[in-house]
Amino acid sequence: MAEQHVYRAGAKRANPARPASPVRVSRSAAGASGTESRRTAPYPARRAPAPRRKKKPSLIRRFFVGVVRRLYFGSKTLIRFVLLVPIVVFMVYFSYNVDCSGLFQGALAPRRIVDLMLEGYDVTNYDQMDEREVVQLYAQDVPEAPEVIGIGSSRVLQFTSELVGSDHFFNMGVTGADVRDCMTSYYKMVTYGKTPKVLLWSVDPWVFYGDEAAFDDRADAELYDEFLTNVLGVETDYEAPDPVELWKALAEPAYFQGNVDYYFKNRGQSTITDEDGNPIDFNPVQGDPMQQTSNIKRSDGSVLYFEQFRDRPADQVLADAAAASTTFNSVHMEGFDALSDTQCEAFDAFIRYARSQGTTVILVLSPWHPYLYNYLLTEPDLHKGFFQVEAWVRQYCAQNDVPLYGSYDPSLIDGIEEIDFFDGLHCKGSGIAKFFPGVPTVLQQIQNGNLPDPLAVTARVTAETPETNTAAADPSAESQPAA
Amino acid sequence: MSITTLGFLGFFAAVAVLNYALPRVLRPYFLLIASYGYFCYTPQNRALVPVLIGATVVTWAAGLAIGKSKNRAVRVIFLLLAVFAAAGILLFYKYWDLFDQGIINLAGLFGQQVESYSFDLVAPLGLSYFTFAALSYTIDVFKRRCKVEYNLLHYAMFVSFFPTLINGPIERYPHLRPQIEKSRRFSYSRSAGGAFRMAWGYTKKMVLADNLAKFVSLVYGDYANMSGPNLVAATLLFALQLYLDFSGCCDIVLGMARILGYDLIENFQSPFGATSFGELWRRWHISMTGWFRDYVYISLGGSRCNAVRHLFNLIIVFVVSGLWHGADWRYLMWGLSCGVVSAVAVITRKPRGFIARYNPLYRIGGIQRWIQRIIVFLLFSATMVFFASALYKADPYAVYAGMTQGWQGLGAAWDQVVATLTDCRIDGRLPVMLTCGIAIVLAAESNGRNVAQWIRKQSFVLRWTLYYAMGAAILFFAVFGQSAFIYQNY
Repeated sequence: MAEQHVYRAGAKRANPARPASPVRVSRSAAGASGTESRRTAPYPARRAPAPRRKKKPSLIRRFFVGVVRRLYFGSKTLIRFVLLVPIVVFMVYFSYNVDCSGLFQGALAPRRIVDLMLEGYDVTNYDQMDEREVVQLYAQDVPEAPEVIGIGSSRVLQFTSELVGSDHFFNMGVTGADVRDCMTSYYKMVTYGKTPKVLLWSVDPWVFYGDEAAFDDRADAELYDEFLTNVLGVETDYEAPDPVELWKALAEPAYFQGNVDYYFKNRGQSTITDEDGNPIDFNPVQGDPMQQTSNIKRSDGSVLYFEQFRDRPADQVLADAAAASTTFNSVHMEGFDALSDTQCEAFDAFIRYARSQGTTVILVLSPWHPYLYNYLLTEPDLHKGFFQVEAWVRQYCAQNDVPLYGSYDPSLIDGIEEIDFFDGLHCKGSGIAKFFPGVPTVLQQIQNGNLPDPLAVTARVTAETPETNTAAADPSAESQPAA
Repeated sequence: MSITTLGFLGFFAAVAVLNYALPRVLRPYFLLIASYGYFCYTPQNRALVPVLIGATVVTWAAGLAIGKSKNRAVRVIFLLLAVFAAAGILLFYKYWDLFDQGIINLAGLFGQQVESYSFDLVAPLGLSYFTFAALSYTIDVFKRRCKVEYNLLHYAMFVSFFPTLINGPIERYPHLRPQIEKSRRFSYSRSAGGAFRMAWGYTKKMVLADNLAKFVSLVYGDYANMSGPNLVAATLLFALQLYLDFSGCCDIVLGMARILGYDLIENFQSPFGATSFGELWRRWHISMTGWFRDYVYISLGGSRCNAVRHLFNLIIVFVVSGLWHGADWRYLMWGLSCGVVSAVAVITRKPRGFIARYNPLYRIGGIQRWIQRIIVFLLFSATMVFFASALYKADPYAVYAGMTQGWQGLGAAWDQVVATLTDCRIDGRLPVMLTCGIAIVLAAESNGRNVAQWIRKQSFVLRWTLYYAMGAAILFFAVFGQSAFIYQNY
């Protein structure tokens, strides 16, 4: 102890911040001083009264005092730390709301599109949109569930609020949609608690094709696996993502800084940019939507092609249809010889699932251009799968009381003409109006029990004249286009 | 585990809570376990635990033998054993590859081929710090400046105390021993001061030093294409960066230790307030300079010898301290240049004093001190070119040569520096924040003020304003993901 005392005393004399130079331990110091004191004392010291020993508290008492002391200081420290919480709360709030990487609220560009659509604007630059992201974000951000949603590929994108007959309609169709896109669009609405009352599905033939060719690379395979696993109980490779990893970003100061940079960069700017500084060129449509020079996304999710494309002369449309005839199978139907049992079961499971959610499912078969369909009839061996679809769907609808409208075969739709098509694949609104009566009418028919009989007509599968089963047709459906 | 990560803060918070939850007598043992846990966190260190244990046990046993024995020869033998063991570990892990390469090169000069015995060794965490700490104990016991420690675990805690493993300070056992033997009770005020000091350190490191590092690394990383003004600016800023980085880490470490109930040696005492080169080194990395002073400089005779020998001793100490930083000739040259400047400062002390007496500028109050501080800072920065070059793998001579080129007036020089600053994204509000931040730090730490104690004397409002200001500075301006401390490498 003597050595320690010497060292510390030395340290105090010098600057306490600096380590004092080591001091040699003096082993004789204590002894010497003791001797000296003995020598100088003239009289023996009177024995001082022994100091009263303070009674040591009992072990139990000490234990409880220790616990109380720890609790007191622990809570005091904790309270002080709580005072720092606002900094963290601000960081989390800011990161979540700005979210420049779209971790929580989707990527910036789709977010802007959805924000504009929810404000009732039509949005420019449709061709550059990531439609799937837009659909996902719409499902997330729309405050109330739309009454009707439409799903399908670009062939459903001409269904508008007017055609559907509902102001609360949103078209969730995406270009090149495969079965996964269709099902997950609806699934997302359900998971967000925004189940629509009516689901309008424009069924494409490749929905029943199980080959890889039927799938689109842009579809969210993971979400589809999640849907299959969680909803339909089908075994997939799906593993639920760890939400902690994602939410960690909220507590990540580096992400916060990125958001701050982004926020200040775009504050008050007319053109917003993404986090790399690239302009996000999606803006509200100015002027008459019908006179735009580029394709636009309407606020109801449908697509309005630019004026020149919409009003192309019939010969140009015919040329397109002719060109599409030879490449027909390249649209997700390469090698489509037969319906896939798995896909048929998935289709059935999905319809049941939607119905179990209280959704009325309406199926639509959007027609192909007459020239194209007639061309396909000349080579039935190359389109075996395709030609089986409509019959199967009609049978399914008949068995399950699912409303079905339209036909792939344009000859079954009264009054449809070549000018009702944009090209070989896509039917215009004017064509849709010729076979789809609108959701209110369909709901009325369901209520009245006078839905058109799906088996009343049969689509042509060979080049022969189509056979119309008028005897089987429901009398009430006579005034309806083909169903 | 880097100490700038949330993971480390979580680890530290858990250690602090458990430490105070335990009875005081058990705390050193718990901290020993925590220290080894921290050491083993990095997988590469796990295999090196025997090195830490070996250095601890050998020096402790040697200290025990030295303390017990009255036979000088035996004492010397055990001292040498400890010195060879601790220094051997240090030399082996840090310098073996350089030594091996040196032998190969030397043999090559004589046309001989020698087989390489390079092991690509990875040094254990805190090697330079724990070996020096252990060595100081043995030497102090030998010189009877420290009592023998019988409790191996207490001693092991001293050697491996995790805050000091990161980048020092190099502790002395007599300083830490009473604190280990009798752990302090929890003190809210002490802990709050420690927490503030940690936050202060984080701000210095992550907000100031790391932002300066962006500019310095850009310039030194491309020194061949950089103009003179940029090289000069980078060199001056590197001195500041190094100070803020190293002292920031020391603040964190000392703050942590303070929270755990330990006072460690202060490593810095406002070095840029020094008015002479020697004084600067007495205020810079105090634990290391103190170690070299006590165990090398004084052992060589210090200043109590003839003038030439004194100068030689000075240079030797700086060269050794340069080598301590790493097996690189640039560190050697850095030490040598510091030694030479110190020696010149000693030689010219009298003439400078004579000139100062007749310098009219020095008659204006305070101006002498400021001129001296500026000169010392410039000298220090000039020597730091070697250090920065070693760090950023640059050629120091090319840097020195480049400093004289590309000057086209002060305005153009300023524009060049501003352009480079913008290139490394030091723009917008950041330069203002950096300037103000550095000024505040230097002012707050002037005269060796201990910010941990200072903050506890301030009013609640000022204290919390500062807490929030530092929190905001870290949140908005800190550089994340670039957390390695410069002195962590040594």
